[in-house]
Amino acid sequence: MESLLHFARGPLFRLCFMIMLLGLARILFLDLWEAYRAYRKAGDKKMPWRLIVRRGLEWAFPMKRIWRNPQLYSFVSILFHIGLILVPVFLFAHIDLWKSAIGISWPALPFRWALWLTISTIVCAAVLLIERLSVKAIHSLSRGQDYFWLILLLFPFVTGFVCANLKIGAGLYQFLMLVHVLSGDVIFLLIPFTKMAHCVLAPFSQIIDALAWKFPPATDQDILETLNPNH
Amino acid sequence: MKTKVITEQGRDKALATIKKPEVIERQKLNVRYHIEDLDVNDRPRRFLEAFAAILKHSNYRMVLDHFTRVTARCSRCAVACHIYQATGDPKDIPCYRSGLLLDVYRRHFTLGGMIRGRITGGGYITDEKIEEMADSFYNCTACRRCALECPLGLDHGLVTHLGRYILSEIGIVPRALVVSVRAQLEGPYHNTSAVPVPALKDTIEFLEDDMYEEKSVKIKFPADVEGSDYVFFAPVSDYLMEADTLMGIASVFAATGDSWTIGTENFDAINYGLFYNDRIMERVIKRVDSEARRLNGKQVLIGECGHASRTAKNFLPTFCGGSDSLPVLNILEYTHKAWREGKLKLDPDVVTEKVAYHDPCNLARNRWIVDQPREVLKSFCRNYVEMTPKGEDNICCGGGGGAVSIDEIRSYRMTIGGKLKAEQIRKCGCEILVAPCANCKKQLRELVEDQGLNCRVVGFHDLIYKAIDFDGSLKVQHEEDTTLDPGKYNPGRPSDGKGK
Repeated sequence: MESLLHFARGPLFRLCFMIMLLGLARILFLDLWEAYRAYRKAGDKKMPWRLIVRRGLEWAFPMKRIWRNPQLYSFVSILFHIGLILVPVFLFAHIDLWKSAIGISWPALPFRWALWLTISTIVCAAVLLIERLSVKAIHSLSRGQDYFWLILLLFPFVTGFVCANLKIGAGLYQFLMLVHVLSGDVIFLLIPFTKMAHCVLAPFSQIIDALAWKFPPATDQDILETLNPNH
Repeated sequence: MKTKVITEQGRDKALATIKKPEVIERQKLNVRYHIEDLDVNDRPRRFLEAFAAILKHSNYRMVLDHFTRVTARCSRCAVACHIYQATGDPKDIPCYRSGLLLDVYRRHFTLGGMIRGRITGGGYITDEKIEEMADSFYNCTACRRCALECPLGLDHGLVTHLGRYILSEIGIVPRALVVSVRAQLEGPYHNTSAVPVPALKDTIEFLEDDMYEEKSVKIKFPADVEGSDYVFFAPVSDYLMEADTLMGIASVFAATGDSWTIGTENFDAINYGLFYNDRIMERVIKRVDSEARRLNGKQVLIGECGHASRTAKNFLPTFCGGSDSLPVLNILEYTHKAWREGKLKLDPDVVTEKVAYHDPCNLARNRWIVDQPREVLKSFCRNYVEMTPKGEDNICCGGGGGAVSIDEIRSYRMTIGGKLKAEQIRKCGCEILVAPCANCKKQLRELVEDQGLNCRVVGFHDLIYKAIDFDGSLKVQHEEDTTLDPGKYNPGRPSDGKGK
C-alpha cells in the first residue's frame, strides 16, 4: 500500500500533472492562435475592450450574480468554485508537498478556514449533483461527464476531510489517502480533455464572443464559389 | 422577472401550423413557417458541405472550438430565456439549442468527434436532426439575453445565427424573409416593401404638408442632396406606417439645422441578412455604403430600427473598408446629442400620460443605446415609469430575429414569444410604450391587440414630434411661407444668422 501511495504521489502525480499542463497549454495556444487568426482576418478590428473587461470581471468576481435566478443554484455553484480553487492550492499539507518537491511555497489557509471550505465544497457538490438529477432543465441538458465530474471531485475532498479530521486506523488512513491522491491524479489527467478545460479558457470567452461577430470582409463570393464551383 | 408555463392547450394552439400537409410532405420538412420549394435530396450531405464552406471562409471555427471546449451545460441560460419560461420545454433552453449545432460540429469537423463517431457508429447528421434545427433556430428570437447569463460566455445568439446561415444555404429559410430580401436586392426599387420612388416622394411631400399644418412650420425632407452631413436610412415600413416617427426626425433636423438627406436609389435600412445569411447581410450593407458614397455623405444615419442599426454599426466597417468606412449613427444618438446641446425645446405639458421605454435588444444588449433615450424622455415626459429588467438585461418583445416578419407564426409570437413582455408591460402600467424599433413596434402593437394591454405603442420620435416647440424664427419663416430646407441653411441655431 505504501509503495503504491508513494508511486501515486510521486511519478504518477508528476506524469498526470505534466499531461495536464501540456494539455492545457495546447488548448490555450490553439484557442488564442485561432483568435489571433480571426482578428487578422476580421474586416473590422475595433474591439469593444471596455465591454469585454467589464463582463469578464463580472464573471471573475460574480458578486452581482450570487442571488440571481436561479438563486440556490447560483449561490451553491459559486461557493463550490471557491472551495474547488482555494482548498487544493492553499491547504498547508499541499503546500508542504510542493515545498519538498520543487522548493517553493506560499501562504496557507488557516486550518479552520480550510476545514469549512472543504465541508462546503462537499455539500455544494452533493447539492449540485441532486439538482442535476432532479431539476428538469438541468437534467435534460446533462451529459455523462457532467455527473462524472461532480462525483470524481467529491473523492479527494471527502477522503481528504476524513484523513485530516477523523480518528481512523492506519490501514484505512493509507487506503483513503491512496484514493485521495489517485483521484487527484485522475482529475489532473482529464482536465484538458473535458469540460474542465474551462478553467483556463473561460477567462477568454468574452474576447472570443466579441471576435466572433468580427467577420472577414467579402466572404460572399468565396462561399458561393466553394459551394457552386461552376457559378 | 418570471412567468408561468403556458397550458398544454395553449401550447398546442401556439405551435399549430397553418401549412398544408401536402406542402410539408413535398418539402419533407415539418416547420411552422412557409419556405419556398427546395431541393429535398441528400439534405445531410448538402448541410455538411455548406457548413464546411462557411467554416473555410469565416471565423466561426474559432468560436465553435471554444464553445465545444468550455460548455458546462449548467442550464443557467434557461432562466434568462423568455421562450423557455413560457413553454417549459427543455428543447427551448438556449444551451440545448446551441448543442444541436455544436454536436454536428464536434462529430463532423473535429478529429476527436470523428474518431468517436467511427467507434460508436453514431452521431451522424440526419434529416431528422436538420428538421429539429430548422424548427429550433426559428423558435429563438435571437435576443441574446441568455448570453449574459452564461458563466462561460457562450453566445447562443451567435450559434443560432450560424445555424440559420447554414440552413439557408440549403434552402431552409422563412419565405417572408427571402421575398423581402429579393425585392431589396433584385427588385427595381431596392427596398423590402417594393415602394416605388414616386410613391416615396409623394409620401414625404404629404408629410411635409402635414407638418406645416400641425406645427405651422415648413420642414423639408431632403432627397438626393449631395454632400450632406447625414445620409438617412429608415426601415422602409416607416414610410408606409410611421408618419409621426418620420416627422419627429425631420423636426429634430429642422431644429438643429444640420444637413441630411434621403437617397432615392436606396432608402431602406432593413437588413434581413442578419437574421439568416451573412452573404445577404454583406450585399445589403454594401448597398447602404454605396448610396451614402454616391451622395458624398459624411455619416450614415439609421432610423428607428434595432437590427438595421446594429447591422450598419457593426458590419459597415466589416464589409466596407474597416476603419476607413463611413461612421454610423443611430437617430436616437443624434437626437440625444441635439437635446444635450440645447437645440431641442420639448414642451413638458404635452405628454402627460404614463410613458415607459422599451429597449430593443439590438440597441441595448451591448449597452450601446440605453441611457440616451431615457434622458430625453424624462426631460419632457412628466410621468415616466421604468420597466424592469431594462437596458442590457431587457426582455425581448418576442418578435426579434425576424420572427415578427413571419405572419404565419403570429400565434407563437403572441402566446409564447411575447408572453413575458406582455406581463412586464401590464405590470409597469404604462399608457404609452415607446419602442424605437420597427420590428418591436409591430410585435408590441400586435401584443397590445391580442393580449388586451391598455397602452399605445409609439416610436421615440413620435413623442418628440408631439412635444417639440419650434422657436420664433421658424414660425416667422412659416408666415413668410419660406421653405426651410435643412440641407441648405441653418435656421435653428440662434448664432447662425443665415436662416433669419
